[in-house]
Amino acid sequence: MYDATLENDVSQKDIKIAADNVQVHYGDTHAIKDVSVQIQDKTVTAFIGPSGCGKSTFLRTLNRMNDTIDICRVTGQILLDGEDIYDSKVDPVQLRAKVGMVFQKPNPFPKSIYDNIAYGPRIHGLANSKADLDVIVEKSLRRGAIWNEVKDRLHEPGTGLSGGQQQRLCIARAVATEPEVLLMDEPCSALDPIATAQVEELIDELRTNYSVVIVTHSMQQAARVSQKTAFFHLGNLVEYDDTSKIFTNPTDERTESYITGRIG
Amino acid sequence: MVDSHIVTGFDRDLESVQAHIMKMGGLVEEAILEASKALRERDEELSEKVRQADKAIDALEEVINEEASRIIALRAPTAVDLRVILSVMKIAGNLERIGDYAKNMAKRNTVLVQMTPVEGSRAALGRMAREVQLMLKDALDAYIQRDVELAYEILERDRDIDQMYNALFREFLTFMMEDPRHITPCMHLHFIAKNTERMGDHVTAIAEQVIYLVTGSMPDDARPKGDTTSRDPEMSAPQ
Repeated sequence: MYDATLENDVSQKDIKIAADNVQVHYGDTHAIKDVSVQIQDKTVTAFIGPSGCGKSTFLRTLNRMNDTIDICRVTGQILLDGEDIYDSKVDPVQLRAKVGMVFQKPNPFPKSIYDNIAYGPRIHGLANSKADLDVIVEKSLRRGAIWNEVKDRLHEPGTGLSGGQQQRLCIARAVATEPEVLLMDEPCSALDPIATAQVEELIDELRTNYSVVIVTHSMQQAARVSQKTAFFHLGNLVEYDDTSKIFTNPTDERTESYITGRIG
Repeated sequence: MVDSHIVTGFDRDLESVQAHIMKMGGLVEEAILEASKALRERDEELSEKVRQADKAIDALEEVINEEASRIIALRAPTAVDLRVILSVMKIAGNLERIGDYAKNMAKRNTVLVQMTPVEGSRAALGRMAREVQLMLKDALDAYIQRDVELAYEILERDRDIDQMYNALFREFLTFMMEDPRHITPCMHLHFIAKNTERMGDHVTAIAEQVIYLVTGSMPDDARPKGDTTSRDPEMSAPQ
């Protein structure tokens, strides 16, 4: 019997990231209140919620980006493949090679397209020769679905590309270090609908290899690209369930109010 | 959900499409009552009126479907809003079918008035139509009130309609066996009874939509089936 839900059935996937009782404070502000969530491997998980609900903050705890903010304090436990990423033995730089990140605004380095991709593998020592590096650059640009557009201009500056191309370049850069998890903080908010569709298609392809976590203000985007959705509100994780469940029949009234565009 | 949308135009769209459902439901109730009155009183003129009135019901279904598709395209409804849209589209379809059965009853009546009346069955057919109309009224009330309990009650009441149909089926069979001249009018009357029983099924489907709209899932239990004529060998004509 045909089961329409089968394609998006992620119930059998392994747990990639397990967050347990995570609290985040910015000075006196309690930004994340006791959030526990299990993020699955080879799955796109969307974080949605109104501005200031803590979704980006929580995303940034997953690769310790909040370490760069002095007043930020994170407690609780976050396990990546069973290992505590806040353990004192963990090198945040190595962690961020494993947990890549793509930001809201495309931010290519002021270098050539080639060097944008090659930079990470070089500093992490992933390539032994120029030939190795060429292979990584091509593979990454192909994964970023931008190879055909840039293959003849690899040594031109990355900043000369269009916004959508720059964002795909940044995604290619993020996958160049062979991360296991890809965090995306509103990756399409600065893009036009065509570039958005290309990035969304790319996200769908990426989930065959990675665990992708995306923060988005566009609920329709969350509905389109993710299999799991987490709804944040005032620092709480209100509801975390299959995307199809969240968008057709959410359990919590606050989720319902938010996704249907009512005053919550 | 009592809260209104931040975008008030969305509320207006949803209210408008639901108001059209109510209007359509009112017209369909009237069609059932008038078709059944025309049958009881052998009123050819009223039958013709019912047949003409069906056009307005069909037109409303079009309006509802257009509004629903526009809301889907422009507002991208989710959760309860999505269920409102899906349910109005289905309910409009159910109402349109009920309207068609009422029209068919009126059409058969224009043939029946030309023949000698078959005694007894008219009152039973009238009661059955009346009960279906009341069920429809309650189903529409349940829809507007988002009343799941009332909707479940309607599911139960459909069994009575099925039993009324079973009784009429037997009665017509007897009439036809008694006198072959009864066959033509009884065939028409049987179709009317069967169509009225089908109306009950469509009302039940509307009640199920109310349950879906409110709870997000269809009722679990298979709904009660009272029409046994297709399964009971005793019910079929002797070989």
